[in-house]
Amino acid sequence: MARGSIRSPWRRPLGVLAYGLVLVYAALLVIPVYFVVVSAFKDNQAIFGSPLALPSSLGLTNFARAQDGANLSQALFNSVTLTLSAELLTLALAIPASYALARAGGRVADALDRLFSLGFLVPAFAVLVPTLLLAVAAGLFRNTLFLILFYPATALPLSIVLLTQFMRSIPMELAESATVDGASEFGILRRIWFPLSMPGVVAVVILNFLNFWNEYVFALVILGPASRTVQVAVPTLRSGLIVEYGLLSAGVLISVIPVYVVYVFLQRQMQEALTAGALKG
Amino acid sequence: MVGPLASVFYLSTLDWGGILANGNFVGLDNFRRLFRDPVIPVAAANTATQLAVVLPTMILLAFMLGYFLSLRPPGYRILSVIFFTAALFSLPARAMMFVGVYMPNGIVNSFLRAVGLDDWTRVWLADASTAFPAVLVVDLWGGIGFTAVLFASRISGVSHEVYEAAEIDGASHWTKMWRVTFPMILGYVGVLTMLQFLWLLLLSAQNVLLLTKGGPGNSTMTLSYYLYDQAFESSRIGYSQAIGVVLFAIGLIGVTVIRRVLRERY
Repeated sequence: MARGSIRSPWRRPLGVLAYGLVLVYAALLVIPVYFVVVSAFKDNQAIFGSPLALPSSLGLTNFARAQDGANLSQALFNSVTLTLSAELLTLALAIPASYALARAGGRVADALDRLFSLGFLVPAFAVLVPTLLLAVAAGLFRNTLFLILFYPATALPLSIVLLTQFMRSIPMELAESATVDGASEFGILRRIWFPLSMPGVVAVVILNFLNFWNEYVFALVILGPASRTVQVAVPTLRSGLIVEYGLLSAGVLISVIPVYVVYVFLQRQMQEALTAGALKG
Repeated sequence: MVGPLASVFYLSTLDWGGILANGNFVGLDNFRRLFRDPVIPVAAANTATQLAVVLPTMILLAFMLGYFLSLRPPGYRILSVIFFTAALFSLPARAMMFVGVYMPNGIVNSFLRAVGLDDWTRVWLADASTAFPAVLVVDLWGGIGFTAVLFASRISGVSHEVYEAAEIDGASHWTKMWRVTFPMILGYVGVLTMLQFLWLLLLSAQNVLLLTKGGPGNSTMTLSYYLYDQAFESSRIGYSQAIGVVLFAIGLIGVTVIRRVLRERY
C-alpha cells in the first residue's frame, strides 16, 4: 500500500518547511508587485516615508502625468497595432507551414525540421546591429512596418516547432477518412486539424503575444519617438536627477494591464492547453 | 503544400542577419582589439559568473518548485498564478520595479531598517560591491517561478506507475524527485536550460541597460551589454559585432554542451 495519501506530507515537519519556503518565495514575488501598484498612487514623499503602506487616496494624478510625460496612449496604441499585426502574420504563416511539415514525411520535411530547430537557436539579440542596418537600407527605419515583418521572422521557428509537434500528435486516420469523403486539402486543414490543434495554437498565440508586447531592445533601437511602443516609453519617465517613483510606477502599471487582461481571458484556455498536453504525454 | 513552405523559407532567411563589417574594411583589427581591451576580461568574468550562478540555481530551484506544484498542495492554483504572472511583466517593467526595490529608501532598505539591520543598508545599485549581485537577483527573480510552472506541467504528465513502484520500495519525495522524475524529463530539462542559457547570455543586457548601464565603474558590465554599449553608446559598430561573434560562438558551444549532457535517455 502506498505510504499515505498525497496530502499527508504537508503535515510532517519537512513538508511544512518546504511549504513555508515556497510561501516565502511567493511573497518575494508579490511584494515588489504590490509595491509598484501602491506607489502608483503616491508621491515621492509618501513612497520614501512608508513604502509599503496603502495609499492615502486613490487619485489618478500619477497616471495622468505619466500619460502626458511619455505620451502613453500613443505608445499603447502603437504596441497594440504592432502586437496584433505581428501575431496575425505569424499565425498565417506558421499554421500552414506546421500543417505541411506534420503531414509530410520524408527527408525534405526532416531537413526543414532541423532547419527550424536551428533557427530557433539563433539569438535575435546577436543580430541587433545588422537588423538595424537592414532597416535603414530598406528605408524602414523608424517605421513600425519593419517590426511587423521582423517579429514574426523571429517567432516563426519556435512557433512552427511547437505547432508541428502538436499537429503530429493528431492521428492520421482522421485526415484520411476526410480525404475519402472527398474533402479538399484546405478543407481538411480548416475543418479537422485546426479545431484539434487549438490548444497548441492558443499556446503559440499567448507566447507570441507576450514576446511581442514585452519586447524592448529592438523596439528601442528601430522605432522613433512617434512610433515607439509602451515598453520603450515607460523608462523615459525616469529622467533627470530626481526620479519620481510614483510616476514610474503608474507608467509600469499602464504597460502591464493589457497583458493581464489578455491573460485573464485566455488563462482558462491556457490551463486547458497545458493539462491536455500533460495528459497526452 | 509548397506555397506555405516557400513563404516560410523566405522569412527564415530574414532572420539570418549575418555579421557585417561597417565602414572601412579593417580585417581582423576588431578581433585584435578584443584581446587588448581591458574591459573585456571584466565583462567576460561577469558573464561567466552570471551563467555559473544563475543558470544552475534557476533550473534546480525551478525543478524542485515544479515538482512541488505538481503534487497539488493546498493553494497550488493561486501559487501557480503568482509564479506565472511575475513573468508576465516585461523586462522594462521589471527593471523599473527593481529600481524602486533597490533605491535608498526602497523596499530592501526599509525592510532592513524595520528589522533593525540598519548597518546592512546600502545604495545597492550604486555600490560597486553590491551592484552586480543585485542585477543577478533581478535575472533570477521572475525566471524561477515561470520555469517552475513550465516544469510542473511537464512533471504532471509523468505516469504515476513509476512513482508507485518507487513508493513500494520506500522512496521519499526527495528520492523520487531526483531519482525518478529528473531522469525521466531530462530532455525537457535540457530544453529549458538551453532557453535560459541563451536568454542569460544575450537578453539580460536589457536588465543592465535599465538598471546600471554597466556601472558603477565596470562592475556590472557583461559581454552582452558591452555589445550594446559599443554599438549604440560608443558608436564602434564593427567592434560591437566582433563581440557579437564571440557571443554567438559561446552560445553555440554552450547549447551543444547542454544538449549533449541533458539528452533524453531511455
